[in-house]
Amino acid sequence: MNFPLWNLTRGQAGVIEDFDASLPEIYRNRLMELGFHPGERVTCLQAPALGAPRVYRVANSTFSLDDDIARLLLLRSADE
Amino acid sequence: MNKALSMEQSVLLIGSPNCGKTLLFNRLTGLSHKVANFPGITVEIARGAFVGRDGVALYDYPGTYSLEAISGEEQVAVDQFSAALADPGLGLALCVIDVTRLEKSLYFALQVVRECRLANKPVIVLANLMDVLEAHRLSIDLDALGEDLGAPVLGISARTGSGLDALNERVTQALDDPPKPPEVEAQPNLLLRGTAHQLAHKYGPKGDVLLRTQNRLDSFFLHSTFGGIAFFLVMYLLFQSIFTWAAPAMDSVEAGLGWLSDRVVPLLGPQLLQDFAADAVFSGLGAFLVFVPQIFVLTFVIGLLEDSGYMARAALICHRPLRAFGLTGKSFIPMLSGVACAIPGIYAARSIESPRRRFLTYLAIPLMPCSARLPVYTLLIAAFIPSTTIGGVFGWQGLAMFLVYFFGMSVGLLVTATVSRSSRLAENDLPFVLEMPAYRRPAMLPLLRKCWQRCGMFITKAGPIILSVTLLVWVLGYFPNGGENLGESWLGQLGVIIEPVFAPLDLDWRYGVAILTSFLAREVFVGTLGVMFGIEGADENMVPLVDQIQASGLGVASGVALLVFFAVALMCVSTLAVLSRESGSAGLAAKLFAAYVGMAYVMSLLAFQIVSIFVP
Repeated sequence: MNFPLWNLTRGQAGVIEDFDASLPEIYRNRLMELGFHPGERVTCLQAPALGAPRVYRVANSTFSLDDDIARLLLLRSADE
Repeated sequence: MNKALSMEQSVLLIGSPNCGKTLLFNRLTGLSHKVANFPGITVEIARGAFVGRDGVALYDYPGTYSLEAISGEEQVAVDQFSAALADPGLGLALCVIDVTRLEKSLYFALQVVRECRLANKPVIVLANLMDVLEAHRLSIDLDALGEDLGAPVLGISARTGSGLDALNERVTQALDDPPKPPEVEAQPNLLLRGTAHQLAHKYGPKGDVLLRTQNRLDSFFLHSTFGGIAFFLVMYLLFQSIFTWAAPAMDSVEAGLGWLSDRVVPLLGPQLLQDFAADAVFSGLGAFLVFVPQIFVLTFVIGLLEDSGYMARAALICHRPLRAFGLTGKSFIPMLSGVACAIPGIYAARSIESPRRRFLTYLAIPLMPCSARLPVYTLLIAAFIPSTTIGGVFGWQGLAMFLVYFFGMSVGLLVTATVSRSSRLAENDLPFVLEMPAYRRPAMLPLLRKCWQRCGMFITKAGPIILSVTLLVWVLGYFPNGGENLGESWLGQLGVIIEPVFAPLDLDWRYGVAILTSFLAREVFVGTLGVMFGIEGADENMVPLVDQIQASGLGVASGVALLVFFAVALMCVSTLAVLSRESGSAGLAAKLFAAYVGMAYVMSLLAFQIVSIFVP
């Protein structure tokens, strides 16, 4: 069962499964260039209050994504 | 720039953002370099002499994550890189990668290696931040990585300087005896992306040891309570730095020009020449030189925030509330700076990568209640708002000051919200994906150098425009009667001509002239009105002017209308000059001037009508 990256709470991890079809290809490519590849493990390191962008760790780098873009990355559970 | 490239042997430095490239550039050039600036965008290409190699120039190219551009800024950087590769003077490319964050660096490095091969240019990959790996007792097989990348990899630390001697040797070797790049098939981007991913897994540091310190600090700085307190403290310091710390230097600039004027002007002979020097030239110089300390201090503090890694955290904290108005978290600092003065605010907007959000921030900054508005507000509030208090605690005048500040900020946010919803802009935006750089101690010398460069750019680019307009307004106010009576000057005649424009606000020609001269700077309104009412030094002591305005029978509705007008109108030639330069569009500055003056007029008319109902 896939769920959006934005659903991860602080400390939770998931594995990137796919991108939402509405995400333009250039942004999809850029996310992959940064390390957000399908099959890659993503951990939510920080989830600041009031809906602020969250901090994610992927491939030894940390990036902050807001809900607009984090909802378009689809994950599966890291336990599967 | 490419013309310069072809005249000498050159080395090109390129890398992804936050890989320590600029620090390395400063080390390799000994801090002696010039920055080429592209109008309207934040792309800068720095050029410096390679230390220890006579006749070799080093070019610092802007950092991008990929040669597939997703913004105008990136496209300029990519185009410049392609043009440099085609230049016969280019002897070597140095591609910097962050060895602690391999994946984001390797894809770009692979693309650079491919393009260099296609252009038949040698390339060396520099694995920066080796000191961080070593501090955590981690290692990486650079030779094997080099074989997989198809280019030699050299371990260095731009911070400690380790590996730079070896780099100099390799540069000398490559320039004197260029190696023949291996002939291999160029891979498309899709394949390179997969290769980068595999190589990052193969060679990248295992575990999260490198992120632990960063995450601990983030737990504090992004904490819902402590993070908020830290944010307000940092912003308070920033605001203080622009308002208070820069003030003594600004006063010194004014005093210095005054001192020079007192000594030079009497030597000039004819009265016309003396008046011209004192009131046009020295006033014109003061009109822009006075901002230099503020720009220096702001650039320094923002540089500290950027280099330490805090800026990315601050942008994250502010992003959500500002997004509702079409802005980004990074708009906050420019807007806050705009409360002190729009000019440093416009410069601060350079840190916003998204052209759309930067444009919207430009729209908001002139509406922030800058310090130049304060004397105007103080005069009008003292003249029209009673000094009585509510319950002995809350004064009406204080409330009015709060309301006019709040009004300006609200109009700014309403403008950005409205404009951002236009379909053309909404389609052209970048998603909020922000790399969280590691917390680092800022390098002071390069930062100070950057501050000087920014000030120099302001003086040479915006200064002449401000000076020209000041001279023009002086000529209009001085002739034909030799500055005897401002009311009879060409400016005064212009005031009479435009009197019908201000008549609906019940303002006579004297206010019209004061509004015209406030185009130089808003606070000039007070001094001009003082001259009109025959009061010397009204900008130093407003009390007699307040009495005169009250005695002239001007109504409360007119006073409120003037407050509204100054809260919205873009009456500042310095702001327009800097906006024109930074946005790369004189048209934008002109349109914004017309739009905000028009909007100010309509709003003040409405305010006049509404207040007239309650206070006839």
